[in-house]
Amino acid sequence: MADNKGRLVDLLSKDNVESGAPCETKRLGNYLWDDPPDENKWADCVHCGMCLEACPTYQETGEEQQSPRGRVYLIKAVAEGKIDVNDAFAKPVFDCLDCRACETACPADVQVGGLIEEARGQIRQALPLTGFAGVFSRTVLRGIFPHQNRINTLGGLMRFYQKSGMQQLARKSGVLRIMPTHLKDMEAILPEVGKPVQGRFPDVVPAEGIPKQRVAILTGCIMDVMFSDVNEATIRVLTHNGFEVGLPKRQGCCGALHVHAGERETGKKLAKQNIEAFKEYDKVLVNAAGCGCALQEYPELFKDDPDMLPLAEAFSSKVEDVSKFLYDNDFKRPTAELKTKITYHDACHLAHGQGVRFEPRHILSEIPGVEMVDLPDADRCCGSAGIYNLTHPEMAGKLLDRKIDDIPEQVEMVSMGNPGCMLQIAMGVTKYGRSEKVVHTVQLLDWAYEKEKSATTS
Amino acid sequence: MLFGKDRKATKPDAIIQQLMRIVGQKEVLYLQEDLISYECDGYTMSKGMPKAVVFVNNTKQVSDVVKYLNKQGIPYIARGAGTGLSGGATPLGGEVLISLVRMKKMLHLDLENRKAVVEPGYINLKLTQSISDKGYYYAPDPSSQYACTIGGNVAENSGGAHCLKYGVTTNHILGLEVVLPTGEIIELGEDGVPDRPGYDLLGLLTGSEGTLGIVTKITVKVLKNPEAKKTVLAYFDDIADASQAVSEIIAAGIIPAALEMMDQIAIEGVESAAYPVGHPRDIAAFLLIEVDGVAAGIEDQIDEILTVCKDNQVREVKVARDEAERGLWWANRKMGFGAMGAISPDYLVQDGVIPRTRLPEVLTKIAEISKKYDLRIANIFHAGDGNLHPLILFDARIPGQSERASSAGSACLKVCADVGGSITGEHGVGIEKSDEMRFIFHDDEIEAQTKIRAVFNPDDRLNPGKLFPQPGRCVEVKQEMSKEGL
Amino acid sequence: MVSSHQDTDLCTEPEVLRTNNELGHPLGNGGEEFVDCYSEADISKTLAYAYETNRTVNIISGGTKRGYGGQIEQADILLSLKHYKGIVEHSVGDLTMTVRPGTTIKEITDELSPFGQCLALDPPWPEQATIGGVIAANDSGPKRLLYGSARDFVIGTRIVYADGRIIRTGGKVVKNVAGYDMNKLFIGSMGTLGVISEITLKLRPIPKYEGVSILHFQNGQEMAIRKFAVHLLDSMLEPVCLEVLTPSVAKKMTGKNQYALVIAFEDRERAVREQEKWIQEHIPKEAVLTIFHQHEASEWWGQFYHLGASRCNTTDDVKIQAALKIGSNNLDVLDNLQIACQLADDIGVYVEGHGGVGHGITKIFMEGFPEAFISFVELLRKKVEERHGYVLCTHLPFVLRQKISVWGDKPEHFFLLDGIKQVNDPKRILNRKRYVGGL
Repeated sequence: MADNKGRLVDLLSKDNVESGAPCETKRLGNYLWDDPPDENKWADCVHCGMCLEACPTYQETGEEQQSPRGRVYLIKAVAEGKIDVNDAFAKPVFDCLDCRACETACPADVQVGGLIEEARGQIRQALPLTGFAGVFSRTVLRGIFPHQNRINTLGGLMRFYQKSGMQQLARKSGVLRIMPTHLKDMEAILPEVGKPVQGRFPDVVPAEGIPKQRVAILTGCIMDVMFSDVNEATIRVLTHNGFEVGLPKRQGCCGALHVHAGERETGKKLAKQNIEAFKEYDKVLVNAAGCGCALQEYPELFKDDPDMLPLAEAFSSKVEDVSKFLYDNDFKRPTAELKTKITYHDACHLAHGQGVRFEPRHILSEIPGVEMVDLPDADRCCGSAGIYNLTHPEMAGKLLDRKIDDIPEQVEMVSMGNPGCMLQIAMGVTKYGRSEKVVHTVQLLDWAYEKEKSATTS
Repeated sequence: MLFGKDRKATKPDAIIQQLMRIVGQKEVLYLQEDLISYECDGYTMSKGMPKAVVFVNNTKQVSDVVKYLNKQGIPYIARGAGTGLSGGATPLGGEVLISLVRMKKMLHLDLENRKAVVEPGYINLKLTQSISDKGYYYAPDPSSQYACTIGGNVAENSGGAHCLKYGVTTNHILGLEVVLPTGEIIELGEDGVPDRPGYDLLGLLTGSEGTLGIVTKITVKVLKNPEAKKTVLAYFDDIADASQAVSEIIAAGIIPAALEMMDQIAIEGVESAAYPVGHPRDIAAFLLIEVDGVAAGIEDQIDEILTVCKDNQVREVKVARDEAERGLWWANRKMGFGAMGAISPDYLVQDGVIPRTRLPEVLTKIAEISKKYDLRIANIFHAGDGNLHPLILFDARIPGQSERASSAGSACLKVCADVGGSITGEHGVGIEKSDEMRFIFHDDEIEAQTKIRAVFNPDDRLNPGKLFPQPGRCVEVKQEMSKEGL
Repeated sequence: MVSSHQDTDLCTEPEVLRTNNELGHPLGNGGEEFVDCYSEADISKTLAYAYETNRTVNIISGGTKRGYGGQIEQADILLSLKHYKGIVEHSVGDLTMTVRPGTTIKEITDELSPFGQCLALDPPWPEQATIGGVIAANDSGPKRLLYGSARDFVIGTRIVYADGRIIRTGGKVVKNVAGYDMNKLFIGSMGTLGVISEITLKLRPIPKYEGVSILHFQNGQEMAIRKFAVHLLDSMLEPVCLEVLTPSVAKKMTGKNQYALVIAFEDRERAVREQEKWIQEHIPKEAVLTIFHQHEASEWWGQFYHLGASRCNTTDDVKIQAALKIGSNNLDVLDNLQIACQLADDIGVYVEGHGGVGHGITKIFMEGFPEAFISFVELLRKKVEERHGYVLCTHLPFVLRQKISVWGDKPEHFFLLDGIKQVNDPKRILNRKRYVGGL
């Protein structure tokens, strides 16, 4: 790593020179901009159709262009010069949830997700966003997410909104009524915003007992504002298991939302920032599946950048979901009993994106008193999909309805490993007047450990 | 080119508008970008742009759409999931595709009488999944069963790995509701009652590749799960030994539920893809043999199978330890075609059938074809019923390869026909093999069939140009044309 | 490739034609002239001649189905396939065989058994019934529950069309979807679309062991049969048949005048015994169980296949015989048998019947006076059709076929059937008016 350090700084500073400079453009059919979709990715697709029924948007619409195979075909068609990068092409490409269920189903391991992101990058360059979407993109994606302080400020404002009574006031006053339904629904389930762990915890949180290893965690952008309790639980669980937990200061948003939205340049900037921020660590643990997946896919962003590619590859190999890490490191089995019936929802970016299905279920099943009930089609997307539920409320709503419908009646909790899903499913639970508690897998483990500790102290 | 950049049909024409009035505005696709992914089905060597895609939600809509298109003289094609491997749902150009994927309900389930009624868009595997908790299943299991529709299965008379013992789709269809090319709605095998008087139109319609009518409701037989299943995997160093083992298993009086074979190149493919099992890469072939039935009868059969394998110089033979292992073996096998994407940008799968006993000589001939056309050919096949799937690997980006692949495919079929076999066992004729029909049928025999088509579909407006060779055109012509890259 | 036209002068009367001495058969379906075919060429020549000269042709083979349909007492020509028999090819390793239509079921069985193979088709009268007739009439037996019927194992045919052309359908391989599945058209088409001159069949290995379990139920305990059958069908058992016998048939077969359920198993010995154990463990308290194995079981079946009416067993002139085939939902079989017995009592005909609760086909044999038959069939048909079933008369004397509808009403899609007939036999010379709706 040390050897790369100097180069990394160079690369990062090189990036600071705005990338507006004309460089040789690699044209590919009707893709006229840099970083076009990767031909080799669609060459793997033999159009067999195994992905169709795995795709939530195909399941809902039955439309070929809204299927993974269809999207790949369209992306290829642009390269072949059959169609242009235009709105009709953009629609199915942006309607994709990026849930990666197709990648699980695909017999040939076609990287549909990567292709979609690359195509979105082209579309965003061909058709810059205008109107509200443009404002959203510029202010939120480019203006807020890359800057953790701004997110924290927003979090503070939200905390103020909730604590000051403004939330109650807003809910009573009917101001919310003028908001679109899906935003209203979302407002209703805003978790109680806690204080970010960043700043409250030391840079390195010591392990309980003799430290086994030092690991870093991605505290995340939204996660640390909306779900700082999950971050706290993660820190407690890891330290209880004998790990020193580092919280590198300079880390930032993973960039997943940007890459998904076609804002690949912002995504690359964030990637570089994180690669730099975690360079001291050999292990980067993530409790948000979407972020974990994004970190693991940094090499895809730099596929045409021979300088950054090896750095990104080295980085991505260090990234792991916290549940998998705990499982692989023989986590301490809690002894206290949590009497509860739970079901487990597979976050797309955990199950399809990272192939992590068994480990979180195993962790849950090892907690005494936890009774696991199967969730049918557990790995079908809940509709959250990053900010998909904001951009595509109708489709997201349909998927959420199906997800809630699938949750077995008798369970008390629904566990998962991704904050986006947690928000979305919490919204569904509220909307349907159900009582299930939505929790993160490490939270349950944390509660069991805490109960155990309080039992031994008392 | 139909789809030049300047051709922007953004406004729906009068026909599209009328279709929208029948089925609803959102149920019709007509923009070029929306249509382009409908250019082909699972067979990608032939493509054509449809005029529109119409999503129907019920039988009446199908009938109304058909009546309207008839009046306008516009040809049309029924389409399911589009996983077909012979271009059965691929437009020649300008047809309206009637998509049945939104008709995907199960309408009735009667386990006592062992039947289920489903709409054509119902997914094959879903049927088994929805009744498995009660101990029942739907037997035909094409490898595409994760995605393919039962309506499509009826059109193609789909087979699958387990049809050695249980038969193909036609053996499991009890009744159909059909919209005829006139728009009339008829019912065959009402209530699933067998042997109704009248010619067996159920049998005729099944496998007619969507040229006789559009199926809108299907009554299928469901079966009780066998009490026990055992799966054997046997690795052979010589493909002739594997073939001999197949014959001897059958000769021993065993009817395995499935008896599959894969050769070395195919193994390379599946091992590079999503479900690697860890098959040795240096074996010549493996057999995947499944026996099912009453538990007490299974052990003996497994013992006999193991003995047969050992008598035929098997390198290693093992019985699946548990359901997980069995599942992996099958996933590895069933993803076989798609897995070719991992070792080749394109593939062409053929579907010849031969008398089982001719296997070794046919495999030798296929190897010769591979050499002659300088293309790798992987073999995945249902060895038990002699249904071969030579997978011809090529790269369409390299000029001339597509054409060579097509010719090699045709040559494989000729070999099958010459040993008394057939050009297709389960994928159908479609666009792909219509000329090769002449390998097995003479003109009178083809005419006997086209005359039957004319009874149902006199103007050949429903799925035109499929299944039968164009008069006066022979296979050699096709091959010549393909050589010239036409 | 087969040459489709024979190089003969079509209008010359084939020398095989001779005057029929057996006119006025009580079952009709005869012919003024008679042709005994010994080759495909004989068939082709005869049909080409008949086609050119507008002569009608009735087709016969073993004669077991002579009383099955037909509104014409004498056609111009009666074409017999009885002597066009024998095995064309038996590909042992492929489990397929090609036979000529006049080969009897028994002959096929005898040919195959040394190879440990069989044709899993068990129609009645195997010594007389020929494969051509069984296929053309789509006859079957109780074991179709597991093994299926003709449409499940006919994989190819050669058909002589009405004009004498020879058309092949299907092929010689067990799996084949090239072109339309034309085999199906000829199965059960009663010879109205062409004359079958060769049939290729899918075979099975002879089961290693067989057993027949017969459960006798006390009279009045019919509900228990249904309950037990449903239980068995929902179990892991794999019976080859699940046939209910009326008390009259049971009496003939076993001596007990009670409803009986025949459950047969054919598998490895251990599997057969294991399944019989299940039956013993679950036997309803109202029932008595008898089990036969191997030789005894075959003998039992031997007797069973000679029940009922066909041309093979005629009685005196006053009382006549008839046979019906009922198709219904699987589990309605039991009710249909009871309805038939009840009606028979009311009307005063003697009936025997059996039906498969797993496959929905019931067969009824009747003996009695003609007038009683008419109302019996009418009433039974009404009852059966109420539950979406149908009733066909598979054996009726010619005169009665004028009074009783053999096939019931025409199906709504009759125009398609008629269209197919028109394509294959535009002059309607083959078995004219033998099939549903006068096809």
